[in-house]
Amino acid sequence: MTTEMQIDSYLTALRLHLGPLTIAERDEIVCEISAHIRDSAEESGASIETILARLGPAEELAKQYREGLLIRQASRSLSPLVLLRATLRLATKGLSGIVVFFLAIFGYFMGGGLVLTGLLKPIFPANTGVWFNGGQLVSSGTLFPAPAPPAHEILGMGYIPIALTLGSLTLLLTTFLIRRSLRISQQLQSKL
Amino acid sequence: MAIQRALPAEGDQPDRWEAQLRKGAVEMAALASLWQGRLYGLEIIRFLESQSQLALAEGTIYPILNRLKAEGMLTSEWVEAEAGHPRKYYSLTDAGRQRLRQMAEAWTSFSRGLSRLLEPVVQQQEKTQ
Repeated sequence: MTTEMQIDSYLTALRLHLGPLTIAERDEIVCEISAHIRDSAEESGASIETILARLGPAEELAKQYREGLLIRQASRSLSPLVLLRATLRLATKGLSGIVVFFLAIFGYFMGGGLVLTGLLKPIFPANTGVWFNGGQLVSSGTLFPAPAPPAHEILGMGYIPIALTLGSLTLLLTTFLIRRSLRISQQLQSKL
Repeated sequence: MAIQRALPAEGDQPDRWEAQLRKGAVEMAALASLWQGRLYGLEIIRFLESQSQLALAEGTIYPILNRLKAEGMLTSEWVEAEAGHPRKYYSLTDAGRQRLRQMAEAWTSFSRGLSRLLEPVVQQQEKTQ
């Protein structure tokens, strides 16, 4: 293989493994690494094999670029899917990451559930609400069948604003907590 | 809240420990190399080799520069060179300068404290040699 072919195949592999980055970011990285290889060759007269070995495998180099990118992007995102993916990554890094991941699941589940039952109340008015029996909470949510008397529903249509508000607050708090944890983890990572 | 373990599970191996130590220092070293003015990647690598014993796998430095830029610590510009291809020059931003000052302060007091702590160990070693 000629020198040019070796460089090309290294850069092609690098570009391939930089997959999730934008095209502009990939172009810039490949251009910079290409300049590094050419400058190294001119400066030291070292063989292309030595220069590429010092850079490390293209796949490994790309991995270092990708690492942290997911978490960096997610800490600015509002999307539950992006945030959950990032917390899942966090969970592989230690015990506190696992706690954040389960708190996130719990928060989205609770918040989403509350909002959903708030929306279901007008459709299933008799099956949605908060049931009490003699001052004790029996159940809440959307239930089929609804709890039987003597348990009775206490909120009526008032359930809708309460469920929607509490649900939205829970979702907001969850989002805020995840982004905060991702930022802290980023800071810790950059200090390591 | 410690999101990440300070060291990986196999961190009790000395060479692994040294690798982690170097890795932690690279970011500060990269910022420090730009204190006097702009440099491109290979110049940063050569500067670190000549000014400190921070010999790196050369691939390590580029993703770190990329991250520091994303965090607003560095800016970069492409400059046409005589070599026939453009080079990407990095410079410190104001935020980068401030971060480096904080790091230098923390590092100096940290290493001074540790040196004091390790003094008896080092002296003992010198006596036995």
